[in-house]
Amino acid sequence: MIRRHLLGLAAATLALPGLAWAQGAPPAPAWAQGRPAEMAASPLAPHPPRLTVTPPERIPTNALRVPEGFQVELWAHGLPGARVMVRAPNGTIFVGSRGIGRVYAVRDTGTAREVSTFMQGLEAPSGLAMRDGALYVAAMHRVLRVDNVEANLSNPQPVDLTAAFGQATEPHHGWKHIAFGPDGRLYIPRGVPCNICEFDGERFALIESWNPDGGDRRIEARGVRNSVGFDFHPRTGQLWFSNHGRDWAGNDNPSDSLHVNLRRGEHHGFPWCAAGFQDPAVQGRVCNEFPPPVAVLGPHVAPIGTHFYTGAAFPEQYRNALFIANRGSWNRSRLSGFNVVVVREAEGGRLVMEEFLSGLRDDAAQRFTGRPSGLLTMPDGALLVSDEDNGAIYRITYRR
Amino acid sequence: MRLAALLLAGWALALPAAAQGPLDGAALANERQCGACHGLDGRSTVPDMPSLAGQGAEFLVIQLVLFREGLRNAPAMREPARGLSDPQVQALADFYAALPSGPKEDRGLLDAALAARGAQLSAARNCNACHGADYGGRAHLPRINHQREDYLAHALAQYRDGTRVGMDTQMNGVMHGLGDADIAALAHHLAHAP
Repeated sequence: MIRRHLLGLAAATLALPGLAWAQGAPPAPAWAQGRPAEMAASPLAPHPPRLTVTPPERIPTNALRVPEGFQVELWAHGLPGARVMVRAPNGTIFVGSRGIGRVYAVRDTGTAREVSTFMQGLEAPSGLAMRDGALYVAAMHRVLRVDNVEANLSNPQPVDLTAAFGQATEPHHGWKHIAFGPDGRLYIPRGVPCNICEFDGERFALIESWNPDGGDRRIEARGVRNSVGFDFHPRTGQLWFSNHGRDWAGNDNPSDSLHVNLRRGEHHGFPWCAAGFQDPAVQGRVCNEFPPPVAVLGPHVAPIGTHFYTGAAFPEQYRNALFIANRGSWNRSRLSGFNVVVVREAEGGRLVMEEFLSGLRDDAAQRFTGRPSGLLTMPDGALLVSDEDNGAIYRITYRR
Repeated sequence: MRLAALLLAGWALALPAAAQGPLDGAALANERQCGACHGLDGRSTVPDMPSLAGQGAEFLVIQLVLFREGLRNAPAMREPARGLSDPQVQALADFYAALPSGPKEDRGLLDAALAARGAQLSAARNCNACHGADYGGRAHLPRINHQREDYLAHALAQYRDGTRVGMDTQMNGVMHGLGDADIAALAHHLAHAP
């Protein structure tokens, strides 16, 4: 009843002239909230996901472009839906997914990679984190822990921590990234259950932190529409997170964004403001009440992997630089994203953003051949990039 | 439903657990007895069982994978999808995608008032934006014309009730707040679309 009441409130608050669902109609469907009348007939829709194995000869490795001095190779394949990656102490790479419901394990034998399905049948297990040899898995409103995970690869017996984490069960934007902070706490975002709406600000549009096994919930960041990637600065320990702007506000607005959370509980603007865009669908607060993002990533680019490079093998300017994997747009007439960018410090501490991996987006044909998703620094300083669409992992190295 | 359950029981006995079938979609459909519920021509005559003829291959691939992985809750599909390889999934999807679809001959009389109410609900939710001007679907967005009315109502209720999520949560949002009478009207409208 509470949820229904809130959604009803949302419809009333956001009702705009010309919207079919305005007065007396049922509450607006999640996908249509905030959709302007002139876009009612838009043919834009999310791209079809590929859930089957892509054979290596059809993976576009040869089309990938990286800056001079870098090389990129196909490191692993046969992992449909591959997204987030974490490395366990003995070298197993665990790979999460969304639609296909699997967690993969990848073992490197030195000459080849052995891929196995470690867990399956989970609803959007897109969040993985390692702590003391245990793998934490966040699926839709569930949290599981597999102790001593590398000794239990063939028969995992997860401990179900779901009750201790009390996550909202609304499915929309319920898939999540998770990570342990330098404070030893587990950080869990919770996106809004809609495109744009009024919502309970104590439950949604948040990044929370919890004790490792649940309890002692703290709100770390507010007004975060949907963050599916964040990391902690290797020197300062500050939380840097990417955020997805809302849909149906136009091709070029609002941009997706990168933020630093300077103090606990800081409000970053949603639903009123996103990357300097004052949302016309919501009144009450204005952009200059909120800290601006540290980088504007571009409209609809869909940042997923958001990862500080902590290796020593890349040139100096990439040390502790932030890499972002943009999964790519759907709610935009022309494609954007489908690449990896790097945000790094230039002279005087100024942040610059540069494209780092490209070649998956064909602007002339308006098609894409891959969707970068997860990022991971390896002990040898190589950077792994997962490709959700091809079920593949690329490895990027540097040679002078 | 009872007929389907009986057929499935027979199927489960007939097929070894780890069977690796042919890569020809028609032969595979025959081996797994898909036609018993979905019709030999892909047009179902069994209550609550969907027609598959002319459905988008990308949609069918996704659904078969979701059944195989235990991610879509449809007990009748658990055994038929078990152990399908990715190439088999693709072959089955291509087979049904290539079969011609058409309005169901036995769809019953049109209730004009009910269909009009359904059309109104569809327009308010922009169903055509994803499913096409004729509801014929595209890519992973399914064909929702040429379908059984009872199955349409069943699927819509699953989305409304959150018992089916799909690859994303779009349809759950679309169906939020609709009642059984609304669903009946939508299903009637779609089943009688040309």
